[in-house]
Amino acid sequence: MRPEHKEDVCRDVIERVFEAQMQRVEQGEILLETIINDTIYHEKKRLHAEPDKKAIKYWKSVNKRFLTADRKEQEVILRELIKIFVDEIVGHFNEKVYSFSTRILPVGLGILLNTISPRVLISKFPRLPDLRNSLLIQGEIDLLCELEKKGTVILLPTHSSNMDSIIIGFALFQIGLQPFTYGAGINLFTNWIISYFMNNLGAYKVDRKKKAALYKDILKEYATVTIEYGYNNLFFPGGTRSRSGAVENHLKLGLLGSGLKAYINNLKKNKEQPKIFIVPCTISYELVLEAEGLSKDFLRQQGGSKFIIQDDEFSRLGRITNFVSSTMSLDSRIFVNICPAIDLFGNRVDKEGISYDKRGRKVEIDRYVFVDGKVEHLMQRDQEYIRQLGGEIVKLYKQYNIALSTNILAFVIYKILLRDNPKMDFYRLLFTGGEKEYYTVDEVLEPLKGIMVQLRELEKNNEIFIDERLKEADAEVILNHALKRFRVYHTKPAIIKKNEKIYINNCNLIYYYNTRLMDYGIELQENKDE
Amino acid sequence: MSNYDSVGVIGGGSWGTTLAHLSGINNNKTLLWMRDEKGIEEVNSKHRNSKYTKDYVISQNVQATDCLEEVANHCEIIIVAIPSHSFRRITYKLGNYVKGDQILLSASKGLEQKTRSRMTSILLEETCCKKVGVIAGPNLFEEILKGHPSATVVASHFNEVIIKTIQAFASKNFRVYGNNDVLGSELGGAVKNIVAIAAGIIDGLDFGNNSKSLLVTRGISEMCRIGSKLGTNNSTFTGLTGVGDTMVTCACNLSRNYRVGYHLAKGKSLSYICENIVSVAEGINTCKVIHEFALEVGVELPIVRGVYEIVHENKDIMEVITSLMQRKSLWE
Repeated sequence: MRPEHKEDVCRDVIERVFEAQMQRVEQGEILLETIINDTIYHEKKRLHAEPDKKAIKYWKSVNKRFLTADRKEQEVILRELIKIFVDEIVGHFNEKVYSFSTRILPVGLGILLNTISPRVLISKFPRLPDLRNSLLIQGEIDLLCELEKKGTVILLPTHSSNMDSIIIGFALFQIGLQPFTYGAGINLFTNWIISYFMNNLGAYKVDRKKKAALYKDILKEYATVTIEYGYNNLFFPGGTRSRSGAVENHLKLGLLGSGLKAYINNLKKNKEQPKIFIVPCTISYELVLEAEGLSKDFLRQQGGSKFIIQDDEFSRLGRITNFVSSTMSLDSRIFVNICPAIDLFGNRVDKEGISYDKRGRKVEIDRYVFVDGKVEHLMQRDQEYIRQLGGEIVKLYKQYNIALSTNILAFVIYKILLRDNPKMDFYRLLFTGGEKEYYTVDEVLEPLKGIMVQLRELEKNNEIFIDERLKEADAEVILNHALKRFRVYHTKPAIIKKNEKIYINNCNLIYYYNTRLMDYGIELQENKDE
Repeated sequence: MSNYDSVGVIGGGSWGTTLAHLSGINNNKTLLWMRDEKGIEEVNSKHRNSKYTKDYVISQNVQATDCLEEVANHCEIIIVAIPSHSFRRITYKLGNYVKGDQILLSASKGLEQKTRSRMTSILLEETCCKKVGVIAGPNLFEEILKGHPSATVVASHFNEVIIKTIQAFASKNFRVYGNNDVLGSELGGAVKNIVAIAAGIIDGLDFGNNSKSLLVTRGISEMCRIGSKLGTNNSTFTGLTGVGDTMVTCACNLSRNYRVGYHLAKGKSLSYICENIVSVAEGINTCKVIHEFALEVGVELPIVRGVYEIVHENKDIMEVITSLMQRKSLWE
């Protein structure tokens, strides 16, 4: 948030949320007391688990005031609570910090990401790795840049690592765009240096442990208002990092609704550039920083707040430096694949910002939000539009996913394990790694060839992307490419090769990397000679 | 205010004409698109469509036209009542004129053979409209035109579509219920046509009421099974688009699908029936589509398979019935 807009945005958010809550109260939908009580209850509950003396004192005082408050005082309290949340959420943007960070980021992601001593830093990075060499941005880049001039863009990356926001931030810089506003989990602000950059690179804080409905309404309204002010936004519609490793197929649609709400508000205000463009993109890593922690978490199948991992690889600085040095010292790549832009109703959009239906005919999209010829909000209709939009985004994720060597090899091995251990259930298979201790190279290469034939066919039909380096490569090259990557970084590599034998070393990781290629209908080919 | 002043119906067959009439008697200006010049002339001058709706008088508020653009320019709600094999072609043409604020409803009960697409999916693919839905239910045109009490279901994910369609079509003799389960409503309408062919066979063989009851109940059960696989709400099948539509089609010897089954049981060939008795029976294509899909996803649908074998593989009817009856006994 630029300083010149901060006051106006905060004022608008506070006013709108306050008015919306009061409207609900006046319509008999909820009691004002319930809104305040619910907020106090959830905050006290959160603080009970994570005590913070100052905060506890504050919420106690609010509670005390609330108990004796008349209607007028309750309204004062509500407005105050909204303001407190808004002040906490609101982000900053500092041109100088942005300029500084984008300059140093390419030559030292490690510096940005940790606070370790220069001695350790030098030992980890004798030659400072350059992010520019590792990051490959492809897809509809020109379209994204053009649309950014024609309206407001909401960028929707897939989410598998906390590195994503940094990677996507740098990708935007590389393609010449200003940073996008985005809500970053408050746990990312625990490292003071990351917090410093996050605060100044356009991130606003989202505390997923705050469960009060009021807080969630404020987050949505904050996103809506920033979009209306023309700030390009960045959401991770998967909600949290993909635990299974798979590309998201269920999206959290709440924040997407902010886009539609902002568009309707823009039309109502006759804004010069009311359009909002949705640009999904996939981020693919050959190795994922937090793969071990995430896959374990997925397998634990725990629900609710336990999914908010506070202590995984991203919170351990040593792991970050290991990851950076391991992945960047190889010719390892991180891919950002920009999907074609769509409008809020799922129609494709061209460089001029004009929407087209599936048969290539121009669409006047403002008509989608007409009620009897006038632009209006209509809650159920708008929710349904967003549900349909979610479906289109999921399709694009699948189509713009990139098959990397680590995914391909893990997929092949997992399929072999399923074939060879038909009686084992899922957990037992992952726990034991199957009955066979190892496979010969040939036993892996043959199925790998078959899988590549299918993948190439899918790519020909524009159903998936394949890493450029693997498109023409034979199975042995792909096998060695993947093994080379699996060998570095993970404490217990997924698959290792010793004496021409392929060992299943970490089945959780095999499953994690394999999921990226699920749901494409790819199967092991039966050996017809047998 | 909206520029739209009429309700539109695409397709001047018996059901399309009946829907136009239902809209017309509700004081809606109604445009009925049809290709047949004589039919247009008859509707506009004599308020009848004798080829499809016999001598029944159609509301004077209904005006027939052969211009899709006219329908698109004037109608907020447009119902497409075209057989599934022509549905995409006509909808594509309509897509040249419609806008995003319009409501498109399918009144066709079938699946596209080549793509297995549902009619609402085709509406979404061939036009820019998002607010789509389906009208389905136990609706024999003759009884409706006589003014006998009847009901239908409009299913859409958009409540706005449901509310506006109810306003346009509900009258003292015709109730319109809303449902958000579009897939279930379309699937019920499609599968009941297969069950209707089987019902015709049972009556053609004079098997009586026990057999019919067995068929209808197990047919609904198959509807639920395939629906569960696709993620529908099973309670939809206990409503008008499931049980309701199946009952009426299996009991009525006017149903086209029923007549296909009846004449097959009487020894007529499918080609003879299609050429001389029934011009369009959706169940013939639908049973192929559903049968192939069931095989792919591993859902057991014995009645659908039986009808498929009789209709498309020319298997002996008694042989099929025997194999159905000799299946291993199971819990219901």
